[in-house]
Amino acid sequence: MTPIEQAQRALERSRILTLIALGLLGTVYVRAIWFTPVEAIQGPAQKIFYIHAPSAWSAFLAVVVVGLCSVLYLMLRDARIDRLAASSAEVGTVFTTAVLITGPIWGKPIWGAWWTWDARLTSTLFLWFILVGYLVLRSAVREPRQRARFAAVLGILGMLLVPFIHLSVKMFRTLHPQPVVMNPEGPTLPGQMLATLLFSFAVFTVLYAGLTWQRYAQSALEDARGDARAEGAR
Amino acid sequence: MTPANGGYAVAAYVIAAVLYVGYAAWLLRRGAKS
Repeated sequence: MTPIEQAQRALERSRILTLIALGLLGTVYVRAIWFTPVEAIQGPAQKIFYIHAPSAWSAFLAVVVVGLCSVLYLMLRDARIDRLAASSAEVGTVFTTAVLITGPIWGKPIWGAWWTWDARLTSTLFLWFILVGYLVLRSAVREPRQRARFAAVLGILGMLLVPFIHLSVKMFRTLHPQPVVMNPEGPTLPGQMLATLLFSFAVFTVLYAGLTWQRYAQSALEDARGDARAEGAR
Repeated sequence: MTPANGGYAVAAYVIAAVLYVGYAAWLLRRGAKS
């Protein structure tokens, strides 16, 4: 099978996974809106949590993949690893954007303010800047190996921010709620709410995988066609 | 009494859906053209 055919097959498969993930996202909406109880103190606005927290999880997953691929690229100089980092960064930007939009929409009715410059919110905004900077950098550098090397350094810096963002609610006095699943005492949510949240985490992981694979396969197809054209020109 | 703030939840859910479905649709259309 030629590299072009391989990429086309991956593109078809990733399309199926993306469509499945979108269908599952619909079921998260149905479960969260109609089959999960309304929280007594916060009211319906608390339901934003079922899309906000899993979006943050997928954003962090994306950035960690970018960082690990960046380390591996600097060691192995394999273009496929750079391609995965670039795909994950683009998808991670979408998830981080969702986090930064849904968070303030929850904050307004609960805190009385759209935004506060506390450690969690500010560091998440910095992560978004790093991701956007990563994408701008990639579009600005033409030479592929130089582009991959520069981007890898920025990708590693982005990954270093993730544990800081996660621990920021412990390290600093902050308005942002403490973790309700990933904390040493175990999950602190009632059963039905926890089930919805965990289901949403799983679906957002599949959505991340589908979108990143789709993006990767498109880049692989473009590169394979470029290589084939270069071969033909020789 | 439970606060009536469902409009914020609706807004967040709609914006997130537009973002995710919009990006996925853009990717799928781009993939179909290539």
